[in-house]
Amino acid sequence: MTATIVTPTVRTVSRRALFWVIAAVFAVLVALAALAIPGATRGAGTPYSPTDAGPTGSKALAQVLSRHGIDVALPGTLAAASSALNAPDSTLVLVDPNDYLASKQLASLAAKATRVVLIDPTYNELSTLAPGVTVAGDVADRALTSGCDLAAARHAGTIGGAGVGYSVTDRADAVTCFDSGSSTYSVVRVGPENHTVTMIGAGAALTNGHITEHGNAALAVGLLGETAHLVWYLPTIADTAASGNPSLGQLSPPWVPSVTVLAILVAIVAAIWRGRRMGPLVVENMPVVVRASETMEGRARLYQRGAARTHALDSLRIGTIGRLAVTCGLPRLATTDDVAAAVAAVTGRDLGGIRALLLDTEPATDRDLVALSDRLLELERATVRSVRPQQGE
Amino acid sequence: MALSGWFVLLVAVGVLPIVALGDPVWLGAWLVLVLLIGAGDLMLAGSPRAVSLARDLPSRVRLGETVSSTLTLTNTGHRRVHGVVRDAWQPSAGAFPTRATVSLPAGERRVITTMLTPFRRGERRASAVTIRSFGPLRLVARQATIALPGAISVLPAFTSRRHLPSRLARLRELDGATSVMIRGQGTEFDSLREYVRGDDVRSIDWRATARRTDPLAGTGPRLVVRTWRPERDRRVVVIIDSGRTSAARISDEPRIDTAFESTLLLGALATRAGDRVDLAVFDRRVRARVQGATGAELLSRMVDAMAPIDPELIETDWSGVPSLVQSITSHRALVVLMTSIESPGASRDLLAVLPQLTRKHLVVVASVVDPDTIASSAARGTRDEVYLAAAAERSMLDQGRVAAAIRQLGAEVVTAGPAELPPAVADQYLALKAAGRL
Repeated sequence: MTATIVTPTVRTVSRRALFWVIAAVFAVLVALAALAIPGATRGAGTPYSPTDAGPTGSKALAQVLSRHGIDVALPGTLAAASSALNAPDSTLVLVDPNDYLASKQLASLAAKATRVVLIDPTYNELSTLAPGVTVAGDVADRALTSGCDLAAARHAGTIGGAGVGYSVTDRADAVTCFDSGSSTYSVVRVGPENHTVTMIGAGAALTNGHITEHGNAALAVGLLGETAHLVWYLPTIADTAASGNPSLGQLSPPWVPSVTVLAILVAIVAAIWRGRRMGPLVVENMPVVVRASETMEGRARLYQRGAARTHALDSLRIGTIGRLAVTCGLPRLATTDDVAAAVAAVTGRDLGGIRALLLDTEPATDRDLVALSDRLLELERATVRSVRPQQGE
Repeated sequence: MALSGWFVLLVAVGVLPIVALGDPVWLGAWLVLVLLIGAGDLMLAGSPRAVSLARDLPSRVRLGETVSSTLTLTNTGHRRVHGVVRDAWQPSAGAFPTRATVSLPAGERRVITTMLTPFRRGERRASAVTIRSFGPLRLVARQATIALPGAISVLPAFTSRRHLPSRLARLRELDGATSVMIRGQGTEFDSLREYVRGDDVRSIDWRATARRTDPLAGTGPRLVVRTWRPERDRRVVVIIDSGRTSAARISDEPRIDTAFESTLLLGALATRAGDRVDLAVFDRRVRARVQGATGAELLSRMVDAMAPIDPELIETDWSGVPSLVQSITSHRALVVLMTSIESPGASRDLLAVLPQLTRKHLVVVASVVDPDTIASSAARGTRDEVYLAAAAERSMLDQGRVAAAIRQLGAEVVTAGPAELPPAVADQYLALKAAGRL
């Protein structure tokens, strides 16, 4: 006898799943290949990043500077940037469009550098490092002439002005270059000679995409290559000032994440343990379950909802009259009057009252209906008692 | 594949090295260790596919009784199969226990017994056997479901057979064959016998007495009485309505089951009385038919025919019944219609065909009434109960009207509650037989 085994073997399952496995592997391979193609997954890139070779990055500038003997340091953290600035006579390039650094951090970092270059600085940077310089507005992409005696600007001659411009209010030591009209300048330098802060609003001039235009390259190299050390720092979210209390992760013991993962795995394994059925269910056709009294109950509710008191009472009366007729030994065809008369004779009650109960009284309220129904029952009992006294109660 | 609780525990125990040694590396190491142990256990588990199966079970069981089904497992593999076996029965087969633990060494054979107490009539099926075979460490199991169809026919309970002895005694009284010295009440002449004290003097056959004198006794002639017996070899045709109304439950028993009970009691009684009983279950087609069987075979064929029948949710086609009866017998017969009489509207078709039947046959309409209805009509405490009582009175009036109409058409009506209907039908049969109306 060859038994039919319902459960598929591992081989059958794997053969059945082969297509999907191949399809999944193929999809993963395609995804990996897409990741591997350089630049394919790059988005907008990091603006002014010295390692970004995209059009908005500034890798070209950083490479040119280091090729000319300038020590370009690219610190990843605030602490590293700070220690890199320990070398005397160094320039700090700071690009922080998201304001990751707090004013105090900015000030302490900038204080260690001889030259600070802020590319496209934010309000916070301006107010901390160059009070008195404010953003004046956008500058269109057109050539601007230097118009100042800053060495780098003079060498550059003209630059592409795309970016923002600054105006200087209430600041005597400001050197303003590249006027785009109405006292809006794209490059502003403030501060004493041993600690200058230079704002470059025309940031596009420093990017890989635009550095070769006009005198952009000369301006960039001139501003950033003034000292032998260059620290090019892009603050990250890790530099935001930590909150006062230590986090839960810092407080808990080191094995907590592992135990959490293990707990999740135990839950999954337990689910598999409890979830595996002992074979398939056996199907059974269930019978129809209809309670016979449902129609009766439905009719009762219809009477009630429709307040069909007279109708309901008539049903009760007809039933009572039938039973009274049997009790009194009347034939089946006896009329209600016959029955009423017989009952009156048997019980010795008033015929009119019995007739009213069996025929005439109409219930006005549900209270009347209940009372009449009780009286009908009472009449039945009284009749039975009168006809068969020994059965009595 | 299946896992055991021990495997879950083993994974959970990994918390100890992780906490003790504090390095996340131990999580990975522990998982690898657990996987290796599990894989090894799985490899060493006996194959459930190598178990050959044979099921031995009786072909039928009466509803409410318990039978045992045995399952023989033979391990044809090379390793011991230790684990859990499930014999998969339908829920209403009432199988117990549903899981059995077996330890089956290679080449050996074990028997598992499952007790079946079905709680629904009809054919109850088993589909397959599932074996879960654990490895030596009881961590991981191999599992296979092996198809092994089986079926047991669950017969009607025939609880009304407790009424049979008393009805048979009544039947023997009718026969005049009891030790009770009363004259047989039938209409057919049976035999002549000697007068014994207590016999009805009206039954003395003077002519036979005159013919017979006892020469040995010498005390003169002995009196001879005639005995009578009921007619024999009459036809009883039972038609069970398996249509829509028979599905309704009264006191948690479908009407059709009550009809089956009544039919079985009537059949048992009538076949003892020497009558021929034929059965047809009908809604729009003949669902089952038992013809030409007598004695014990009649009952067994009846229960077999009834076992798989459930009511169909369709209106019964009463116009087909006269021709059905005609196809069963062309002679005058007692036709018992097991149906429900509820309201004039629903019984219109039945009333329309009754004249055709009553013209030739003696017809009895047997119907279950709901004891709840009578109880509801008497309980009138609250407003809701009064309305319910009114509805109950109304439905009793409807039933009464239909019953009156049926009687007017020349048929008899038997109505009783689910428990009382089978003896009531049997009593009606006995009354008709005593009256010589068959």
